Amino acid sequence: MDLFLQTIMNGVLIGGILICLTIGFQLTFGVLHVIDFAVGGWAMLGGYAAYWLVALAGIDPFISIFLVFVLFALIGRAVGPLIYHVRTSRYARPDLMALAFTFGLFLLMRGGALWLWSYNSRNVESVFSGEFLTVGPVTIPVLRLSAFLMALLISLGVFLLLYRTRFGMAVRAVAQNRDHAGLMGVDVKRVSAYVYGLYTGITASAGVLIATIYSVNPSVGVRYTLFAFFVAVLAGLGSVGGVLIAGLALGLMESVVSTYVGTRYSLLVVFGVLFLVLLIAPKGVLGRGI
Amino acid sequence: MASNPGQVRGNLFRLAAIAVGLLALGVVPAFIDPYSLRIVTGALMWAGLACAWNIVGGYAGYISFGHSAFFGIGAYTTAILMQAGIGMPFLATLLPSVVIAMIVAAIIGGPTMRLRGAYFAIATWAFAEMLMQLATILDITGGTGGLSLPAYLNEFFFYYTMLAAAAASFLGVWYLIEYTRFGFRLKALRDHEPAAEAMGIRTNLVKVQAFALSAGITALFGSVFAYWTTYIDPVSVMGPEITDQMVVMVLLGGLGTIWGPALGAVVLWITNRYIWSTFGDTVVYLPVLGLIIAMVVLFLPNGLISLIVGRRRGRELISRILRKF
Amino acid sequence: MSSPAIKTSSADKSPLVLESVVKRFGGVTAVAGVSLVVAPGEVVGVIGPNGSGKSTLFSLAAGGLPVDEGRIWLDGVDVTGQPTWRIARSGIGRTFQIPSLFDNMSVRENLLAAAVEGDWKGAPGRAEEVAEMLQITHVINNLASELSGGQQKLLEFGRVCMRDPKVILLDEVTAGVHPNIRRIILEVIRRLSQTGITFLIIEHDMEMVREICDRLIVMNMGEVVAEGSFDDIASNVEVQQAYLGRQS
Repeated sequence: MDLFLQTIMNGVLIGGILICLTIGFQLTFGVLHVIDFAVGGWAMLGGYAAYWLVALAGIDPFISIFLVFVLFALIGRAVGPLIYHVRTSRYARPDLMALAFTFGLFLLMRGGALWLWSYNSRNVESVFSGEFLTVGPVTIPVLRLSAFLMALLISLGVFLLLYRTRFGMAVRAVAQNRDHAGLMGVDVKRVSAYVYGLYTGITASAGVLIATIYSVNPSVGVRYTLFAFFVAVLAGLGSVGGVLIAGLALGLMESVVSTYVGTRYSLLVVFGVLFLVLLIAPKGVLGRGI
Repeated sequence: MASNPGQVRGNLFRLAAIAVGLLALGVVPAFIDPYSLRIVTGALMWAGLACAWNIVGGYAGYISFGHSAFFGIGAYTTAILMQAGIGMPFLATLLPSVVIAMIVAAIIGGPTMRLRGAYFAIATWAFAEMLMQLATILDITGGTGGLSLPAYLNEFFFYYTMLAAAAASFLGVWYLIEYTRFGFRLKALRDHEPAAEAMGIRTNLVKVQAFALSAGITALFGSVFAYWTTYIDPVSVMGPEITDQMVVMVLLGGLGTIWGPALGAVVLWITNRYIWSTFGDTVVYLPVLGLIIAMVVLFLPNGLISLIVGRRRGRELISRILRKF
Repeated sequence: MSSPAIKTSSADKSPLVLESVVKRFGGVTAVAGVSLVVAPGEVVGVIGPNGSGKSTLFSLAAGGLPVDEGRIWLDGVDVTGQPTWRIARSGIGRTFQIPSLFDNMSVRENLLAAAVEGDWKGAPGRAEEVAEMLQITHVINNLASELSGGQQKLLEFGRVCMRDPKVILLDEVTAGVHPNIRRIILEVIRRLSQTGITFLIIEHDMEMVREICDRLIVMNMGEVVAEGSFDDIASNVEVQQAYLGRQS
């Protein structure tokens, strides 16, 4: 029973971070209609940024995360128009061209990281590393708890932005109906660019949090992309609300499989379930996908 | 389906060009050293793989990120059948390898191809990664340690085998697309699916057929590759690098054209080998690959072949040349 | 509960029978119980204001959309619920309002592709015949995307003809075309209907409708509001109301 509770706790803690990882991705899909294959890449680069900020400037990742957010938001804001341009150009299959483009971006990121920093894993040390909290039968690493809380904070921030600001309203309008939003005076192109920047900022921040727990190397991007896809598809592509449940679901599933079946099998199960979900319920378990 | 004299002349011209090309490729080993021969063999393999991927990606219009699975199925089938316990001769393993891949494709093709664009891409990617994980876990595939095949170090054998496979693939696909009912069904499906259905074409069946064909050809090359490299493991034959390359090659060469994939494959493979010889490893290759895709999407979405044979101008140009014959 | 099946002698011989077909899209009822019997060689005009459900009706009849209620018979065989491709092979063909040609194929290849599930051996010869009948032989080697709007409509019509259908549904096939092309289309409709092929044509061009149609069906808001000859319809008050605006 104790093991079970511990497993659940682990799953929930990770799930929170996965929510943060995927929220931006869903926004990008809803607004730009692009499935960004580079999502894992942004997270990975965020992790590396945190590493270098610790190594070179001694800044704790829980502080530098804000810096990372701003940095990557700016980068994303600059790249966003390019993505938008590809998605709206007059190809025969613009959605696939956008897919290929983000895929190329991902290769660039992965390869660039490998080239610059080699394949060694880098640990991102934080003041919370190595500390533990005991609540009844369950041991909670303070690091994971902090990461979880930070992730929730960011996600909450996104929700507030979406539902309490004018910008957020514009974003939701474009996500629901791009053409009508444009007719209502929303600058779709600019909103799209800002959303992409928001997305890269959030995702890189999630990458910082993940890096503190799991360390970072050039291949982690693939796994993060998978996780983001999984959560997004389970929630229904484009559904930001559904991510809350789907993120926790993935966290729990991963935790349960790792603990009770074996870590060797966890990836197999995740890929397998993703595949099955796509075949059986591509619009997400709640059917809210686009 | 030749129904006018211009087309008959066109066909003869094409056949002559192909015969010359095959002849030229046939005598290549006599003129180059073994190291360069390996490079050309590799180029042939990738050309064949690009051709296979193009059937699904370019003609049926489904971007598959899962073809590495079929390459791996081919490689592992041959490897397993050639292990000491079973000891099948290499050529005998080719048929089971292709058939197994086609069966797997037929099974997952139906449900998976009901998915649109990016969903399909993710699904195939998940499938391929799933199989790779399986290969890492199972004993019969040797787990992470992989499998060794009986060594056969005859470069000429592999060159001609690859050449035969590549030639068969290209010519087979070319014939199917241009001269058979299947080809018309596929092209109709690609151009306008609802209209194709209204013509009585069973589009779902055609899609699965294309997927199975593509898988079979991919597996064939996987099999030859396994015997050629003598050692395989999950990452080398089922890893994402294989799919990455196939996708970029076809996009670079020209999606949905007959010869575009070959062009893309050759150009990219040469780039790969060049980087390898200059930088000592292929780490730089990955970002280069990414850069190439990005550039192609932005500036050359119809691929390199569109530079050589612009759609309209190309047809006019060629028919003008043919009229002189 | 279904309404009693239409069992008149004309229905038995009719190439196309629709019985109380209904089609809903979410909250909107596009087709609200339409019944229809046609005779071989008849040219039936389907008219009505935009949004009255005419194109949807065609999609139902040709199998492009499944019916929510009602039944469809082709040549006496109940084809309700069958997949599109099977219904297409049962002898019904339709054109689309928005051109649905195979852009990367030539005119000839478009025609051949239409015959891919039929008589393949005889297809090349048939393609030449159809091209000649529709007077597009001079562009037969051009890419479909290079044709003018009118030529594209002719090719659409030609593709349907390649299949030797017994019923042809033409959806605004003369919309926006040059009078010469309209004449060609009219001629071909006349010629083919004389060989026993039934036509249902959606049209807004009343001149053409008066010239070619044996009878008219008027639709409004998903229902058939009037049936009869052109003169009957022209003097029908309800029809006038339907076109001029809703009264109730």
